[in-house]
Amino acid sequence: MDLTRREFLKTSAATATATAAGISVPAAALAESEQADADVQWDKSVCRFCGTGCGIMVGTRDGRIVATKGDPDAPVNRGLNCIKGYFNGKIQYGKDRLTRPLMRMKDGKFDKQGKFQAVSWERAFDEMEKQFKKTYREKGPAGVAIFGSGQYTIPEGYVSAKLMKAGFRSNNIDPNARHCMASAVVAFIQTFGIDEPAGNYDDIEHTDTVVTWGANMAECHPILWARVSDRRLSDDNVRLVNLTTISNQTSDIADLEIIFKPGTDLAIQNYILREIVINDAVNHDFVNKHCVFSTGPYDIGYGMRGTSKYAFEAEKDIQAKELEVTLDPAEAIAQRRKPGEIVKQNNTKKPVKHWLISFEEFKRGVEPYTLDFVAELAKGDPDEDLESFKKKLQTLAELYMDKNRKVGSYWTMGFNQHYRGSWVNEQIYAIHLLLGKQAQPGNGAFSLTGQPSACGTAREVGTFAHRLPADLVVFNPKHRAFSEKLWKLPANTLNPKVGSHITKIMRDLEDGSVNWAWVQVNNPFQATANANHWLKAARKMDNFLVVSDPYPTVSAKVADLILPTAMIFEKWGLYGNAERRTQAWRQQVSPPGEAMGDVWQGLEFSKRFKLKDVWGEQPVAGLKADGFEDGKLPDVLAEAEKMGYSPDDTLYDVLFANAENRKVKWPDKSVARGHGNHIAEKLGDGWFPEKALFNEYRQFGVGHQHDLAEFDVYYRDDVRGLKWPVVNGKETEWRFNEKYDPYCEKGSGFDFYGKALKALPGGDLDKVTSADKTSLAHKAKIFFRPYAAPPEQPDKNYDLWFSTGRVLEHWHTGTMTRRVPELHRAVPTAQLFMHPHDAEARDVKRNDVVWIESRRGKIKAVVETQGRNRPAKGYTFAAFFDEGVFVNKVCLDVTCPMSKEEDFKKAAIKVYKA
Amino acid sequence: MNISGILVVTAAEHTANVSKQLQDLAGIDVHYVDNAMGRIVITQEAASISAEIDGLKRIRALPHIVLAEMSCHYFEEDRELLDAIPAELDDEVLESDSVPGCLNE
Repeated sequence: MDLTRREFLKTSAATATATAAGISVPAAALAESEQADADVQWDKSVCRFCGTGCGIMVGTRDGRIVATKGDPDAPVNRGLNCIKGYFNGKIQYGKDRLTRPLMRMKDGKFDKQGKFQAVSWERAFDEMEKQFKKTYREKGPAGVAIFGSGQYTIPEGYVSAKLMKAGFRSNNIDPNARHCMASAVVAFIQTFGIDEPAGNYDDIEHTDTVVTWGANMAECHPILWARVSDRRLSDDNVRLVNLTTISNQTSDIADLEIIFKPGTDLAIQNYILREIVINDAVNHDFVNKHCVFSTGPYDIGYGMRGTSKYAFEAEKDIQAKELEVTLDPAEAIAQRRKPGEIVKQNNTKKPVKHWLISFEEFKRGVEPYTLDFVAELAKGDPDEDLESFKKKLQTLAELYMDKNRKVGSYWTMGFNQHYRGSWVNEQIYAIHLLLGKQAQPGNGAFSLTGQPSACGTAREVGTFAHRLPADLVVFNPKHRAFSEKLWKLPANTLNPKVGSHITKIMRDLEDGSVNWAWVQVNNPFQATANANHWLKAARKMDNFLVVSDPYPTVSAKVADLILPTAMIFEKWGLYGNAERRTQAWRQQVSPPGEAMGDVWQGLEFSKRFKLKDVWGEQPVAGLKADGFEDGKLPDVLAEAEKMGYSPDDTLYDVLFANAENRKVKWPDKSVARGHGNHIAEKLGDGWFPEKALFNEYRQFGVGHQHDLAEFDVYYRDDVRGLKWPVVNGKETEWRFNEKYDPYCEKGSGFDFYGKALKALPGGDLDKVTSADKTSLAHKAKIFFRPYAAPPEQPDKNYDLWFSTGRVLEHWHTGTMTRRVPELHRAVPTAQLFMHPHDAEARDVKRNDVVWIESRRGKIKAVVETQGRNRPAKGYTFAAFFDEGVFVNKVCLDVTCPMSKEEDFKKAAIKVYKA
Repeated sequence: MNISGILVVTAAEHTANVSKQLQDLAGIDVHYVDNAMGRIVITQEAASISAEIDGLKRIRALPHIVLAEMSCHYFEEDRELLDAIPAELDDEVLESDSVPGCLNE
């Protein structure tokens, strides 16, 4: 690069940054930066990484990405970007990018024990189809599965969900987003009857108090943290509180840091609720008008298997807790029982059931959570003085209760990846609702997400084992009928039986109930806890595993067939972020070699199935539903013929490239502006799949509280995403608040109009006492949920707590960020963060290599006793990006029994010198 | 070669001091300073991503830094793609019930 060019680029970079920061720039500098960018084509886009959803501008020249910048017009990030934003332009260009289909072969044939060889797409689909049809014939729809993603674009998720649910009549599709925010979803649905947050990121600028619970925002959501920091600096009245099990960078500018013992967040929440009650800080007017009280069973297990048949010997003591639990002294107090009492876990199959209770019963529930009880239980740092910890808890409660103070609570995986994840989510709403501090600018509990379209695709499209688009569910006959009508399917095509959640798909591969699986836009064989089981399951002779991947990940390595996949800016797409904002981008560059987008892969595979292959009678073990014969999906071919279909029509013709969708033409004249579409061009039949399918999908939500705008609107120059519901062209800033939300009833003030689970029987803290159901339309629920102890805790043998998470410069399993070659040197291997005293006690020093061993496996890592994460004595932490330090071999596959989201935060380990 | 635009935020009273410290760092140019708001716009030039990240960490480690985030990035050309099967995918024979060697300790 010559000197002049370099100076131009610096001027341009400084101009863009100054503009983002609101600093005025001289006209000469503006002119110079325009000159630097003269040969760069800029287009608006969205960051590929976390759930914040930062707008970025992507610069291309000669078919390559040469620059990215924070989009100054994006309301989320206002021109800023974190380090990960920087990777957007780099991640496509890793040297080991996969560019051809690879299949295990021997002597020219597929062989499970063969070596990977390059094959054509045709050959790849031939084998995929053959293996699929073999399993489908033997086991029906329950024998096949898709590992989906919170990183799917909206059209990708829609193609996969529709192909599985409407085509193959299988609900075995579940995303890695299950591991990210399923607990948040359960709480949204149970509390409000509708998914996703009431508020938005602008709450940060409106609030006086930011409380982070199990969310290291400084490192994991840095752009939002930049907004929080700005807010803190601009007003001396603002307070920041960081509740965490490990001191981290979020504590650096916090006014109050509370280090608590894993799992005791539930007890701290109940302490705050008790304080609100005994100090009469309850907003009675709000609660009486808009809320009811509720609770559910406590004996719900921990989401493990109910049998020890597949457990390693060392795992059996923990697995046995799935059946019965001996209450420890704290649980006994918290649940108003006796210490040592053995409680059979009778509600593992129905953990989500709940009933109404009175305010008096609610008060009785929180009564045991006194300051003395909770402080003793929850204090996480053994070196901290108990009295100082008590003062911190009191301060926290006072901040919440202060009538002159707005409060925003934020959380991520600390709440969600929790053996009682749905409960801790519900309890944070309980606090906000009891105070009447919800659904108003600056007041509200806000669930942050970790993936770019966990909300927009996984949740809203419904790529879960129980969901259909727009909050509809497969087990509700009305929802199925609505979906069948919209999708033009014969009645009873859709399968009413909930499929396997992502951890269960792994268990199904291990026990042989699933034999064919397709991994899309994620790396589940690295990202699922207790990985030693699943790695073996992938290689079982009966199983055929397809992995669509841009890089050779752990999942690709255990696959039988690898399909090379186009990445973010090589395709058209839309994502939905954590504040309900749907954002779109165009294809910027072509994918390398033969790599193809996931939409194309799904569509191309659908061409290989005729209706008669999948819409005849199908066995589904355990299916019981009104209108269905036990254990069977009916033959719907005759009905299909009446609707004008032929049994020889393909799923491609019927579900995707149907007459309506073919009207949406490619080349596109309205939004493409000269950008290519490798998928439409390869299909070559003249339609624009992403646009046609998005506009079909949005019909699920229009008029049903989930309204999205039309496809073209998101591509307009004056639009930087819109927060749904988008009604009459206008986005909704705060939901459930009449002032902002057109769905609220006139005169209601607030209206929690979500429709799910809005008629309940009544009872007391322990049981239902009256089966008669009461309607609670337009109301939110305030739950009582008791403290329960983590099923695995440090003991004499495994004597340290172990938690996992992210670091700033790597993301999740590192599939993309590790590819950027220099980054291997930046953070060469994952570190085990531990207290210097704990290291010394084990005769290890900083930078020593150690074994980390749990009941489930052991791995090596490098000890770090300084730096960004600073565990108290007895605690350790490691990031999970590094397949060389495979932390999920150590982690426990306990889940929240309600959400089925794994708890990656609480395992017991021992550490010794390697 | 990577060139990044970075926004640095500090408390207003530290702006001049922080600005001076930034100017003294290798690879950094200070372009704009807003004393009233404590905002400083710099560019950083670095040979690689790791140098870029280390550079940002170095800025964050300075006294009185509230925020240092990148805003935009220009890259040099990257290497050509390899149209070949990565060796790590092709060097193992997998047993029916075993885990690939590279996944084990």
